[in-house]
Amino acid sequence: MMTLINRMARWGALSGGFLLTLLTLLVVVSVIGRSFSGMGLGPVPGDYELVEMGVGVAIFFFMPWCYLQGGHATVDLLYSHMSAGMQRFIRLLSDVLMLAVWLLLTWRLWAGLVDKYTNHETTFILQMPLWWGFALCMVGAVLGCITYLAHILMQLGLAKPGEGLTVSGPIGH
Amino acid sequence: MNTIELALWSFPILLLMIFVRIPIGLSMMLCGLGGAYLIFGDITPIINQLKQVTHSTFSSYSLSVIPLFLLMGQFAALGGLSKALFKAAEVWIGHRKGGVAMAAVGACAGFGAICGSSLATAATMGQVALPELKRAGYAGGISTACLAAGGTLGILIPPSVVLVIYAILTEQNIAKLFLAAFIPGILAAVGYVIVIAIYARLRPQEMGTLPPAPMKERLQATWRVWPVVLIFLLVVGGIYGGIFTPTEGAAVGAFGTGIAAWLNGGLNRKTLSSALLGTAVASAMIFMIVLGAGVYNTFLALSQLPQEAATAVASWGVSPLLVLTAILVLYVILGCFMDSLSMILLTIPVFFPIVSALDFGLPPDELAIWFGILVLIVVEVGLITPPVGMNLFVINSLSRDTPITQTYRAVMPFVLSDLVRTALLVAFPSITLFVLRF
Repeated sequence: MMTLINRMARWGALSGGFLLTLLTLLVVVSVIGRSFSGMGLGPVPGDYELVEMGVGVAIFFFMPWCYLQGGHATVDLLYSHMSAGMQRFIRLLSDVLMLAVWLLLTWRLWAGLVDKYTNHETTFILQMPLWWGFALCMVGAVLGCITYLAHILMQLGLAKPGEGLTVSGPIGH
Repeated sequence: MNTIELALWSFPILLLMIFVRIPIGLSMMLCGLGGAYLIFGDITPIINQLKQVTHSTFSSYSLSVIPLFLLMGQFAALGGLSKALFKAAEVWIGHRKGGVAMAAVGACAGFGAICGSSLATAATMGQVALPELKRAGYAGGISTACLAAGGTLGILIPPSVVLVIYAILTEQNIAKLFLAAFIPGILAAVGYVIVIAIYARLRPQEMGTLPPAPMKERLQATWRVWPVVLIFLLVVGGIYGGIFTPTEGAAVGAFGTGIAAWLNGGLNRKTLSSALLGTAVASAMIFMIVLGAGVYNTFLALSQLPQEAATAVASWGVSPLLVLTAILVLYVILGCFMDSLSMILLTIPVFFPIVSALDFGLPPDELAIWFGILVLIVVEVGLITPPVGMNLFVINSLSRDTPITQTYRAVMPFVLSDLVRTALLVAFPSITLFVLRF
């Protein structure tokens, strides 16, 4: 199972990265267009909105992969002197807290999405419905929750670690 | 318990969580949520706020500069630019005593101009420079130490991810902060070169020399760094000149380093996906901390602690310099354990109002910029302070036959040079600020 989770998280991160690359190109085109505005060209309309929405979505998609890679910042000073059992407990505790926080955040993100959907709020220039951005972020957030849950199961020995992952693998640097 | 006491109690709890190795962003978020609940005595306002806060933190135009700068740094590492920079410095000074180590520091400074992160600079330059240092006959300790120290230039010399975060937290102008960081960054590089020169006199047996390179080779090698110069001038010049926003500057920079990587044949499917995944991990880490810190700082602001602390410290009547020194010393100590971004996000909301309320004889915006640069420097000292400085581990892991104790010993003069420089910048604010006064 973890092989599948790992693959999903990796693809999530790659799609986020791909989106970020597209936004880079969009901004470059927009900057070039603006600097030649004397010659009939112009900036891409709504570029700020697109960057804002796109980067938000990308970050949500980056989260699960970062967690599996042990990318979140931690202080390892005391941890390295703890007993193996204590270390195991701390890892499990971190996993459970991460899942709890993200279940809360995902639930509230959904509530935010419903708000935006019912008010028909749109962006200023392109008039894109704001719930579009929320909906895409929701996909990343749900993927995150699944990943954190799977990580707990793996810690408890209820799921096989799978390729590229180990139970004792770092959750810190 | 009043709200101030509540906020004061949250510090030891938060530190305990962080020190048992709960991820920092997660710890801040949990403390912030818990504290806000105790202040309101009701869960509804928090639940309502959470509808927006995650989305608005991640989907924010001002913060979008961060993943783009990280992408720029990832592409920069692929493009052979690090190698070009090192060669260009080495051909000029490699034949002098300590010259190859000085070239490594110089190349780090150059790489810092297109990369905003210390660890990335240290790791990238380490891969290029360590084999060359070994070939030239340098001892392991001084090789790893000069690169660990040089790596901190990645964040001192703009663009700098930490400065972006500071600018957003304190509502300062990013362009001005970048410009103000430039002279202290150059001073840092000069300081490290002086350290190497002295080291070479005291322990000549630990350093070798290369045969002098002919003039033609020198000019050719120098010519090859033009993409770095162009990208730096375009990005930092463009942001400072108001031609584009910091986000646009970062996108232009990512595009430039991406093109450079592609032209040098460094960009293929495999390296592209590892660059994107590297950006993903670093961005997610930063945004998790920013999110947690946002929730925690909302709680602190509700508790009125920052304002009360600022008034209290100002009314003590102790010398402002003493307060500043105490804060900076605290940063050096914290910096030994914690990464720079977490530290800044955790402490600036409390320390910045305190420092702003003190009288250093500077106008408020200059004080904010000066304090930002000082903080930036001292948090970086922590990165190279034994026994837990993170840059030391990164570099040492690249040089397997060097015991970490040798790195510890050789890095001490560099730490000393950092402390001397900090003292100078504290004593003479105009070193940092004069570029802004034209």
